[in-house]
Amino acid sequence: MNNVTHPRLIAPLSTFAVGSAAAIAVRIGYTWSAALAVEVFVVALAIGYYTLAGTKSDVGAIYGQRKDERQRHVVLRASRFAMIVMFATAYAIFLFMIASKKTYWQEDVFFSVGGVSYFLGLLIYGSHDEDANGTQRGIMTSEPVDDDETTRVIPPM
Amino acid sequence: MKNEVREHRRTRELSQADLAAELGVSRQTIIAIENGRYSPSLPLAFRIAQFFDVPVEKMFDPSEEET
Repeated sequence: MNNVTHPRLIAPLSTFAVGSAAAIAVRIGYTWSAALAVEVFVVALAIGYYTLAGTKSDVGAIYGQRKDERQRHVVLRASRFAMIVMFATAYAIFLFMIASKKTYWQEDVFFSVGGVSYFLGLLIYGSHDEDANGTQRGIMTSEPVDDDETTRVIPPM
Repeated sequence: MKNEVREHRRTRELSQADLAAELGVSRQTIIAIENGRYSPSLPLAFRIAQFFDVPVEKMFDPSEEET
């Protein structure tokens, strides 16, 4: 991302690309006028992102792709907050689904994909059981590590 | 984490924006560090200490948490 000449354009151009794809889908499924309305909204959103990315706030730095280490923490905390809200909402819908004896397969997919990807994320980004030298011992290993044994330095004779 | 960044910055007559530019971080991050709301990473803590030519353990005091 740092090699991009105009990092401020990344968020608005991404928004424009994704939104335009949605507008095309709306045109295929519905009407030209509905697709045009979506495209106008997308352009307005992209302009908003471009304006926001130029501000000197944390949000501006994040959308402008010039965030420092503290702002990366802000992104992580915001992502965590968004995930909690999403799952709380999905869970509320799930409860409603059961109580009303209706089936929304989308919620099943959401829960499944969300749960599996969270677990995958833990496996990918988390440190697993390692001995003192950093050698992986496997995810399910429960045998205790004898740190003294693995770090002991035997003096040369 | 309590620190002496503000004192050293003022001694050098630098603004928060100047220091932020020197260290390659945002002005908000300097404000957060000075107010003890953000504990910098080790690389940034060392960069700050080296910039002011002060030992890192003198610049940052982990034993005193600012409220």
